[in-house]
Amino acid sequence: MDKRTSLTEVESTGASGGVAESKLREPAVPSRKAVKKKSTIAKLVIIGVLLVVGLIFAFCPMQFGFTNYYPFCSKESISLGLDLQGGVYAVYRATQTDTENFESKMEGTRSSLESLLVSKGYPEATVVREGEDRIRVEVPDVEDTSAILDIIGEPAEISFVLDSTKETVLTGEDVVGAQAFYSANDGGYVVSLELTTRGQEKFFEATSNHINEKMSIIVTIGGESNTISSPTINSAISGNAIISGNFTSESAERLANQIMSGTFDVALELKESETISPTLGNDALKYGLIAGIVGFVLVIAFICVVYRMLGVAASLALLIYVVLYLFFLAVLPWIQLTLPGIAGILLSIGMAVDANIIIFERIKDEYRNGKSIMTAYHAGFKKALFAILDSNVTTVIACVLLLLLGTGSIKGFALTLLVGVLLSLFTSLVVSRMLVKCFINLNSYNEKLYHLKRGKQYANLSADATDASIMEVMQREEEKKKQEKEEKQRIKELEKSARKARRTQEKGGEQA
Amino acid sequence: MKILNNLLEKDYRIAEKRKVIFVIPLVIVVVAAILMVVFNFTLGSPLNLGTDFTGGYSIDVKLGNKLTDENYDEYCRRIEDVMSVVEDEDGKSYSIKVENMQKQGSGDSSAIHVKYPAVKGVSETEMIDVVNPAIRRALENDILMLIPDVVIEANTIKLTYSEVLVEPAVIEQRKVFVAALSALNDEHSAGIVLDGDAETAITLSETDNKTLIVKCSAVGDTEEVKSAIADAMRINDIYSGSVSQGDLVGATVSTELLFNAILAVSLALVFMLCYIGLRFQLSSGLACIIALFHDIIIMLCAMAIFRIEINNTFIAALITILGYSINNSIIIFDRVRENRNSIFAKNMTPEEIANKSIRETILRSINTTITTLIMMLMVAIIGVADIRIFAFPIIIGLIAGTFSSICIAPSLWALFQRVGKNKDKSNFNVKKKEVKAKTDKDVKAIA
Repeated sequence: MDKRTSLTEVESTGASGGVAESKLREPAVPSRKAVKKKSTIAKLVIIGVLLVVGLIFAFCPMQFGFTNYYPFCSKESISLGLDLQGGVYAVYRATQTDTENFESKMEGTRSSLESLLVSKGYPEATVVREGEDRIRVEVPDVEDTSAILDIIGEPAEISFVLDSTKETVLTGEDVVGAQAFYSANDGGYVVSLELTTRGQEKFFEATSNHINEKMSIIVTIGGESNTISSPTINSAISGNAIISGNFTSESAERLANQIMSGTFDVALELKESETISPTLGNDALKYGLIAGIVGFVLVIAFICVVYRMLGVAASLALLIYVVLYLFFLAVLPWIQLTLPGIAGILLSIGMAVDANIIIFERIKDEYRNGKSIMTAYHAGFKKALFAILDSNVTTVIACVLLLLLGTGSIKGFALTLLVGVLLSLFTSLVVSRMLVKCFINLNSYNEKLYHLKRGKQYANLSADATDASIMEVMQREEEKKKQEKEEKQRIKELEKSARKARRTQEKGGEQA
Repeated sequence: MKILNNLLEKDYRIAEKRKVIFVIPLVIVVVAAILMVVFNFTLGSPLNLGTDFTGGYSIDVKLGNKLTDENYDEYCRRIEDVMSVVEDEDGKSYSIKVENMQKQGSGDSSAIHVKYPAVKGVSETEMIDVVNPAIRRALENDILMLIPDVVIEANTIKLTYSEVLVEPAVIEQRKVFVAALSALNDEHSAGIVLDGDAETAITLSETDNKTLIVKCSAVGDTEEVKSAIADAMRINDIYSGSVSQGDLVGATVSTELLFNAILAVSLALVFMLCYIGLRFQLSSGLACIIALFHDIIIMLCAMAIFRIEINNTFIAALITILGYSINNSIIIFDRVRENRNSIFAKNMTPEEIANKSIRETILRSINTTITTLIMMLMVAIIGVADIRIFAFPIIIGLIAGTFSSICIAPSLWALFQRVGKNKDKSNFNVKKKEVKAKTDKDVKAIA
């Protein structure tokens, strides 16, 4: 095999060996231990196969036996927002409008409904006031109207009434939260009510004064009252109230939801609930996809023209980025894709190449200043690393804060952005690094392949011949440092011994 | 390519041209401010805020089974047409721009939910008392009517309805046509003379049961006559549904959402400042944050100047630019950090360091922006209208961001460095001379 086509890898050979050998032969063609070409090709093949598999899983619908597989990039996998997929809406009407501060109470109810929906995993749901006394809730990615009742529940008013005196002890106002869970003590599913401090006091007082009496738990839905259970008070109860009855896990969950919606500032009743179709037709998705593909091809063309083989590596890394991104979109439950979300994803593809460009420009700089392609690659990645990390950390800071403090759709958008940034870090710092190394391993002497150029003072250096000279310089520097260190050590020791001698002398003098 | 490279590698001494550079954004801001004042008086509001921010009104056009997936777009277009010119009882006309429509319900309860903003310069009470009823009436008169498609041939007029006509309807329409004849002939000079009596002249086509065929003498085939006939022959379809009273709709972007977003962004800026301050210098952090403010202000200015509707998606665009724009600035400050620590930095002024760093990073700043711009431009060119609204502010933000990180951030940094050193300016100059003298000596010694 010709020497020049053999593979080169500096780091694995070790500096001293390379330099030592190169000193023996002509310095222009340094000899290095050939790295297995096979292993590099194997690596590339593995990456390629993984990529193809990823692409298939991302874009191709398949059928295994009777089960259909939906790719990541399909309506079935990614949950779509109202504008793209539709959903259901419900209009709630306030039952009493003549209360004090009605306006602010309605606003409070509106935002509680909103946060309720966000907590149930519908950040893209919209809650708007309509007319004087109504609130319209639109929930995306839900198919039938009964589902909205499972999420928000038909508002239920709850009251705890003493059977003997007909005195109402607790109402929805005293309830902070309601939760359904399985309790072995109560022999089944129960709904636990978290009470306000005032509610807890009232509950404790009533239960301690009326031991051995019955207390009914009454739920009113849409003007119809139902007594769920009438347990006997065995002892004074402090803390939270628990409702038990013959609940299944679903009915307990539904009651908890209904009680939760009954605790809003304004009592609501469900007026109507219907499905809504998407406002944007399939066109929006189709053209979004076309824009994405055209843009993707143009971006790849751009980086391949400007950075040649390095650009090819970046393009492959970008493909991997797209596959991974689609995977996360399909898997993460909090992401709901709306039209701006699609634009955001397309934007992130453009942004994901940025880190690569910064690295490649660094490699160019290093090569211009007389390093070989392989060393330029190492130095380029090393030096660009902190710039890239620093710039992305700031983006992550912004995303995390918006995720923590933002509401509704802003939260969802921040999450898509965060996933994009983290993935682009991974693909540019790990995947594209690996690919670039493979490419350089296969060919490290043709600077044109990577669009690299020497600076004026290094114009005569060949692409891979400088390793030896650089190593030589580094070696020399290291030796110099070593010598300096030794020198220092020597001086220190001399001083030490001198001091010792002096001390013993002094001691001797004293003794004398 | 080479020419471009040479252009980019030339030293423009950007940092020294602070005054010229800072004027550019200032001019944009001033133009936007003037326009906002002008818009405030002519159009009623300085910014074109969408219903996401301002709230608006909604109306439900209930069509029941008549509404299908196929004719939905057609209905939407018709609703938009009707609402573009609405006349109230006094004959005053309003133009209402539909913000969005969605199909809701299915089967019997199918309806179109139409959302629209308030008409500029019309008060809320007037909207509710005058405009909304007018809209409702206009929609009832048009959308709920069966309007025939009129085709005028040699000796016949064909009136095609969208639904099958039953016998009573045909008799009714005969009467309507005869009654309208004189008005058609007088006002629109249609010159229609029926062949024989109405019963033989006006018949229902047996092929589709939807078309009325009117046999008559030759008629002038003009648009005016056609629309007059269509107007006269519309059928009020009582089963076709109803239009609800226009309702006030609150803003989807609540004050709470805005407040939270602003709080989150301000905290993010503080944390970013701290991080950059720790990793670089406090002055770098300040310069970055100011550059970021610049980008956001320019985006707002562009929305004001081009009077593009600001809605929920604009917040998303701002967040994107907030996260993105700072990257370029940091890449440059990374170079500044490196150049400051190099051995040559001792003889360099902050401006020289800034210029050197700009020159060394300008190619990557531009290339990274190009890739992102390519994607966004494709979205703007190929995407549907709703997605373009998102793409525009992003494109503006990308350009503003690149400008600010190349031109504004580094020169601000240099300015801060200078201000910081000005405190011991006398010292600084002496020191500089000393350093120079020393290096000169060193050079001589080496020589």
